[in-house]
Amino acid sequence: MNDRTRGGLLSRRNFLKRSSLIPLSGLLAQSPAIGAATRSAGFKEQVQTALIGFGPQGRDIAATLARIPEATLAAVADHYNVMLRRSQRSMPEVPVFEDYRAVLDNPDISTVFVATPTHTHRQIALDALSAGKHVYVEAPMASTIEDARAMAQAARDNPNLIFQVGLLTRSHPNYRSVFQFIRSGALGRATMARAQWHSKESWRRVSPNTEREMALNWRLDAGVSTGLIGEVGMHQLDPAFWFLGKRPAAVTGLGQIMLWDDGRKTPDTIQAIFELEDGVPLLYDATLTSSFDGAYDTYSGRDSTIMFRDHRAWMFKEVDAPLLGWEVYARKDQFYKELGIALAANATQLDAQDISPTEDDPNLETPLWYAMRDFIDNHAFGPYLPAASYEVGFEAAVIAIRANEAILQQTRLAYDDALFAI
Amino acid sequence: METIRLAQRAMACRFELVLEGEDAPRLRAAGEAALREIEWLETRLSRFLPASDTSRINARAAKEAVPVEPWLFDLLKRCRRLHERTNGAFDLTVGPLMQAWGFYGDGGRVPDADALAEARRRAGMRLVELDEARRAVRFAREGVALDFGAIGKGYAVDEAMHILREAGVERAFLHGGTSTMYGLGQPADAEAWNVAIVDPGAADEPVAVVALRDEALSVSAVSGKSFEFEGVCYGHVLDPRLGKPVRGAALAAAAAASAETADAVSTALLAEARPFPEYRSLVIEPGAPRRILQNGMPLHAPASHVATPAAPASNGHAARLNFTPA
Repeated sequence: MNDRTRGGLLSRRNFLKRSSLIPLSGLLAQSPAIGAATRSAGFKEQVQTALIGFGPQGRDIAATLARIPEATLAAVADHYNVMLRRSQRSMPEVPVFEDYRAVLDNPDISTVFVATPTHTHRQIALDALSAGKHVYVEAPMASTIEDARAMAQAARDNPNLIFQVGLLTRSHPNYRSVFQFIRSGALGRATMARAQWHSKESWRRVSPNTEREMALNWRLDAGVSTGLIGEVGMHQLDPAFWFLGKRPAAVTGLGQIMLWDDGRKTPDTIQAIFELEDGVPLLYDATLTSSFDGAYDTYSGRDSTIMFRDHRAWMFKEVDAPLLGWEVYARKDQFYKELGIALAANATQLDAQDISPTEDDPNLETPLWYAMRDFIDNHAFGPYLPAASYEVGFEAAVIAIRANEAILQQTRLAYDDALFAI
Repeated sequence: METIRLAQRAMACRFELVLEGEDAPRLRAAGEAALREIEWLETRLSRFLPASDTSRINARAAKEAVPVEPWLFDLLKRCRRLHERTNGAFDLTVGPLMQAWGFYGDGGRVPDADALAEARRRAGMRLVELDEARRAVRFAREGVALDFGAIGKGYAVDEAMHILREAGVERAFLHGGTSTMYGLGQPADAEAWNVAIVDPGAADEPVAVVALRDEALSVSAVSGKSFEFEGVCYGHVLDPRLGKPVRGAALAAAAAASAETADAVSTALLAEARPFPEYRSLVIEPGAPRRILQNGMPLHAPASHVATPAAPASNGHAARLNFTPA
C-alpha cells in the first residue's frame, strides 16, 4: 500500500476539514439530501471550471456541472468548430475557445476537465498542471504507459493541485458499499470474476470534413487507440482489481474483426483473461457486433456471486451458504432461474430518512455526478488524494494498455512490477 | 446509392431510421450518432428514470426554483406556447391525472371523485412557473409533475435530424413507434417520403397519403392502449382540460416543420377533435360511420391505387410507412 500522506497531502488542517465532512456524507456515499448545507458552507467561492473537449463525454460533464451548484462552467475549448457550435447551442452564455491554452491562461479558471481523445490527454494535462490548474482527466488517462507515467509524475509533483481520473465506480455509492461487502467476506473465498460489454454499433464517427473525420475516429486508429479494453473495458476492470485487491500478474488476449470490416485495424470483438496475483482468474469480453445481454460484471466465490448491472448490485447465494440475517427483508429480483438479493447502498441512511432500505435511493444520481461531486468537494475540503487518484488511474491505464497489446498480438504478456513504477 | 436501415429502442418504442447516400459506413456512423442522441435525450426527459432532469424537477420544483440547462428551458417555453396554441389540449402537467387513471401502470382504472378532483388540482400549465432570469422552473403547489410523453419523441426526432444534417446526410427518414416521423430531403427514387395514414378501424385503405419533404408528421390514436370499465372503452390519452380520457377522436394527424410541434399538436387534436386552422391536420371521429375532418391534408381517393409495399415498420396502429415508393 502506498503512503498516502506523502508530500503533506493530508496536512492536519486538511484532514480535519475533511473529517468534518465524513459523518455527514457517511463517507460511503454523498447523499444530497443530507450534506448540502454543510457542504456549501465549506465553499468560500464558486469553483470556476473549464471543459476541454466537447464530444459526447464533454457534453455529459457540462450537463452534470449544471447539477453541482458550487461549480460554474466558465469556458469550453475544442478545436473542432462543430463541437463549439454544439456547446453554444446548448449553453449560449459559456464562452468557447478553439485553443485550450487560452483557457489555461485565464487566471480566473482554477480547474479543468479534460475530455479529449485519450492520446491527447498527456499534453493538455501537463500544460494544465504547469498552469496551476486542478485537473479532472477522463479514463484511460493516456494511450501509452509512458504518457500515463509522465502524467502521474506531474500529478505527484504537484500535491497542492487536485488530480482526479475519470474512473467513476471509485466514487459511486453502490460500488463503495459492495467493496466493503466483498472485503467483509460476502463471497466466501473469491474464486473468479467475469465481465462483459456487448453492444451493436460501428464505433465510427462521421464529419463532412475528411481530415476531421480521421481525427474523430481515433478509437479505430490502431496507432493511438487503446481499443475496446481501454476505452470501455477499463471501467469494468478497474473495480474488479479494486474489489479483489490484487494486480494482474499476466494477461492473455485475443481480438477479431467479426462484423465491421470497413478498413479498420482495431478488433470489434475481444477476449482477455487476467491472472491475478493470488490466482483468481478474471475473464473479460467485449464486442461491437451483438447487444445480447448488454454489460455486466460478476464476482464469484464459494458462498455467493455478486453481479453489477447498470451500476446496481445483486447477490446470488449458493444454496449451501450460511443465511444472512438481513437477507430475509431485502428486495429480491428474479433473473431467469436465479434469485438476486438487491444490495442497496446507504440502507441505514435511507432508513433514517424514512425511505425503505430495500428500495433504490430516490436521490440516486448518475455515476459521473458522484465522481464530479467528489472532485469539486476536494476544492473545499482538500486537497487530499481522490479515490480515483493518479496512482489508481495510472495502474488502471497500465493494465488496460498492456492488455490491449496482448489482444493485438494475440498472446500472453506478463505485468512486471517495473511497469507499475511511477 | 446505398440504403442503410438502423433501429433503436428508446422512449418505450422502436425508432427506425432509413438513410440513403453514397458511403455505407459513413451513413451508418451518422445514423448511429442520431439514434444515440435519442437515447441520451431519454435519459434527460424520462419521468421514469430517477436521475433524469424531469425527475429532478418533479421532485424539487414545488419546494424551490430548479435551474435547468438552456435547451431544456427553451423546450419548456415552447411547450407553454404549444399549450396556448392548442387551447390547452396539449399539457405537460398531465402526470397526476395519468397517475389517477392508472395509465403509468399496465392497466387503467376509473378514479373515484375525490382522487380525480385532487389530481385536477395538481394539473395545469398555470402551475408551472418559468423564471427567465434564473432559467429555473418552479411549481405553484406540491404534487405537480411534468410529463414529456406527448412531445419528447418529437423533440428527439428533431434533435436526431439536426445531427444527421450536421454530418452531411441529405436523404433520411426517421420515425418513433410509427407515430412521430420526419422526412429529410427526398428518397432517391421519389419526390418525397410518402406516409400512409391508416384508420385503425378500417386498415385496408389508407385514409390519406402524406408526402413529407423536410417536414414532420405525427399520428396519434386512442386505440393503442385502452381499458374497458362497465362497457365504456377508455383510451390512454387524457384531455387535460376535462381530466379524463378523450372521447373526441379515434385518430389524429398533424404535419409541421418540426416533429416536436407535430407530436404535441397530434396529441392535442385527439382532445380537440377538429383540425386546428393553423396546422395541416386531420381527425377521424369515433363511431360509425367514420367522419374524417381535415385541413390541408387531402384524403386518399379510394379508387386510385397507391403502392404500399410491405412496410418495415408497420408495428403500430397509426401510420403505415412507405419508405421506398414503387
